[in-house]
Amino acid sequence: MKLRIAVEGLGACAGCEIAILDLHEEIVSLLQDLEVDYAPILMDKKSLNENVDVLLLSGSVRNKHDTEEAVRLSEKAKTTIAFGSCASFGGIPGLANLYATRELLERVYLTTESTDNKQGILPSEEVPPLEQTIKPLKEWIKINYNIPGCPPQPKLIKEMFQMLLSGKPVTLSKKTLCDECDLKREEKKITRILRWGEGEPDSSRCLLEQGYFCAGPATRAGCEAKCPAALTPCRGCMGPPENVTDQGAKMVSAIASVAAIDEKNRVDPEQLATMIKDVVGSFYRFTLPSSIIPRKVSEGKSK
Amino acid sequence: MPETFEPYIVGFLCNWCGYAGADLAGTSRIQYPPNVRAIRLMCSGRVDPTFILTALKRGADGVLVVGCHPGDCHYISGNLRTERRVALLKRMLSDLGLDDRRVRLEWISASEGERFAAVVKEFVEEVRALGPNPIEGNTNET
Repeated sequence: MKLRIAVEGLGACAGCEIAILDLHEEIVSLLQDLEVDYAPILMDKKSLNENVDVLLLSGSVRNKHDTEEAVRLSEKAKTTIAFGSCASFGGIPGLANLYATRELLERVYLTTESTDNKQGILPSEEVPPLEQTIKPLKEWIKINYNIPGCPPQPKLIKEMFQMLLSGKPVTLSKKTLCDECDLKREEKKITRILRWGEGEPDSSRCLLEQGYFCAGPATRAGCEAKCPAALTPCRGCMGPPENVTDQGAKMVSAIASVAAIDEKNRVDPEQLATMIKDVVGSFYRFTLPSSIIPRKVSEGKSK
Repeated sequence: MPETFEPYIVGFLCNWCGYAGADLAGTSRIQYPPNVRAIRLMCSGRVDPTFILTALKRGADGVLVVGCHPGDCHYISGNLRTERRVALLKRMLSDLGLDDRRVRLEWISASEGERFAAVVKEFVEEVRALGPNPIEGNTNET
């Protein structure tokens, strides 16, 4: 009996599905044990009517259609996996939680520089209404496992399939990205935070210790630290490591730990706080909806 | 008429300075508002930003972190780490829509009982003026 799989993307970019194809030839051997019943982004089948063993759901729940699909599909599956960072934590679309739904619609349909919408029409007919906030998939439906990554790395996807086939629980690395990273750490302290593209990074040294904002210390291992290996700072797509609830809070600690505090080059704390242009967007790039304060609050409302 | 708002404040006090300072305020019988619930830690450097976020999420209207004066830290530099952490966290909180005055970091030594009382008094009034914690769905475990 083959393991029957269904794959569906909700509010997503289809990158997670393409990541499955990135297994290349290995997918051929996997398909000896797997049967893909439904994967509209990859295959021509319009709806899932039968029950399956495993459902891979990617993307965030952005509108009512996503909500209904998530519920309907998960009822047909024995095991549901939040596939990718959007499904696992809320992902990039989760940064929309920094704005009210009304603000989002007005920006997109009215005030963007290239928009020509003189009547000020906001889409309301024949489109599903937006959910008020983005939440990780586990807050909508029962999720058995998270497979993070933007997109999940093919190696991780392969391991996931192997664990599913062997009937074992799907587990993730308990280490942080830094444990996997080959760049050299020297306990050097920084006096300023560089934006990506400023200066030229040393190809052998830890990017964070060179002043680049690298989310490695606050990120789960499992991607083989591919970004830092290519001298691109980690953006944190694997989400927080084991036993860390809030990736942003962990990142605050990490930055504070590399900031120089010796008499000579002590970094002023106030200045340090202004060195990162977009704090929430950098610290919670993929995990705002699953953080402790998952959306923007407004002071004075309950006064 | 709504009830008068009494701010609920969580205080993270380091064992060597902040907590000893609070103790001195107590043994000296200095009067100050009872709104701060003191949590003793060995060092202000132990204050993980997660603690502050969790306190706010669970309904604290303000969070007070007290450590030793720079240079006096029992563990050499724990307070300097916290100083940077709190600055970054405050920036993050204001980007998330919270008034960053809800989190306050103070250096109070073991001999500054009077200062501890004055800081608490001032902070309670400041938070009272800010109003209740606005985080939606804060569990309000006060």
